[in-house]
Amino acid sequence: MRKHRGELDIDEDIQLESTNWKVQRVAWVVMAIFVLAALLGFTGDGGIGNLQSLKAGDSAEGLEVEYERFIRRSAPAEIKVKLHASTSDSLTDLHLSKDFYEHLKIDKVVPEPAEVYTTEQGITYRFATARQPFSVTFYLTPKGMGSLPLHFSTAEKQVAITQFIHP
Amino acid sequence: METVIRGLILYVFLMLIFRISGKRTLYEATVFDFVLLLIIAETAEQALVGEDHSLMNSFVLIITLLLTDISLSLLKQKYKGFGNVLDGVPVILLDDGKLLHERLKKVRVDEADIMESARALRGLERLDQIKYAILEKDGKITIIPKEQEQKEIEKV
Repeated sequence: MRKHRGELDIDEDIQLESTNWKVQRVAWVVMAIFVLAALLGFTGDGGIGNLQSLKAGDSAEGLEVEYERFIRRSAPAEIKVKLHASTSDSLTDLHLSKDFYEHLKIDKVVPEPAEVYTTEQGITYRFATARQPFSVTFYLTPKGMGSLPLHFSTAEKQVAITQFIHP
Repeated sequence: METVIRGLILYVFLMLIFRISGKRTLYEATVFDFVLLLIIAETAEQALVGEDHSLMNSFVLIITLLLTDISLSLLKQKYKGFGNVLDGVPVILLDDGKLLHERLKKVRVDEADIMESARALRGLERLDQIKYAILEKDGKITIIPKEQEQKEIEKV
């Protein structure tokens, strides 16, 4: 143990402590940036001005997907799809890529599809509606983590989105 | 497996966050600090346990946290430098009767905090009765009075 002024036994290491103070100050700035990022919606769960609420596709062209860029694992999430009902058939198919049901737990689909089936490529929801256009809301709980590319397709159009699931 | 990873991540995260928030943050808990601590504990609990409320999950979690704590204390014992980085080192705030203002500012302590410890621990009345005031690594301020004051304390 070192001696301070020849009398006080103390393991003071002011160099280490001053490095620590510098690290602390940097960390405070990082914390402030983190809070700012959270306010802007980068950590999921919405944000000021809904900057992270995105739309892909175009409802006029028959398929539009509204989603949040950042979602959180185990926290409720929503994806809203606007699509045109098929004119040639009373049933409209919405096909989603495999990642959709592998990385997201589908809690509820509104309106309820008439039929749901999975294939090698993904999952297909078949809706019986004649309304034009109609929207489908998926209530989801993310299971995985990281980047999640999703493909939505109808008979006429395809839309690809990428969401990020925070841990 | 997920419980172990969650436990480890949260342990390291909490350790870092309290380390960078400074020694004094939660030592002298005011009512507000106490509320803050409760909120942090509750939030951490939710992140740790998730939706799995099984007994096995609690066992895994508690053992993981304790084992991490034991491992770290062993490492700190073996490598002193590692311990100093992790826990910090004591800092002299009042040296031979002189206040070190720059250090006080850095550690967010003021004269009133030093006098509070001086009164509580040594029954001192004035700042000039103190020889050394040291901010210990747990955030406590210890006081060493000047020699004549020491003798008077001993007499009492």
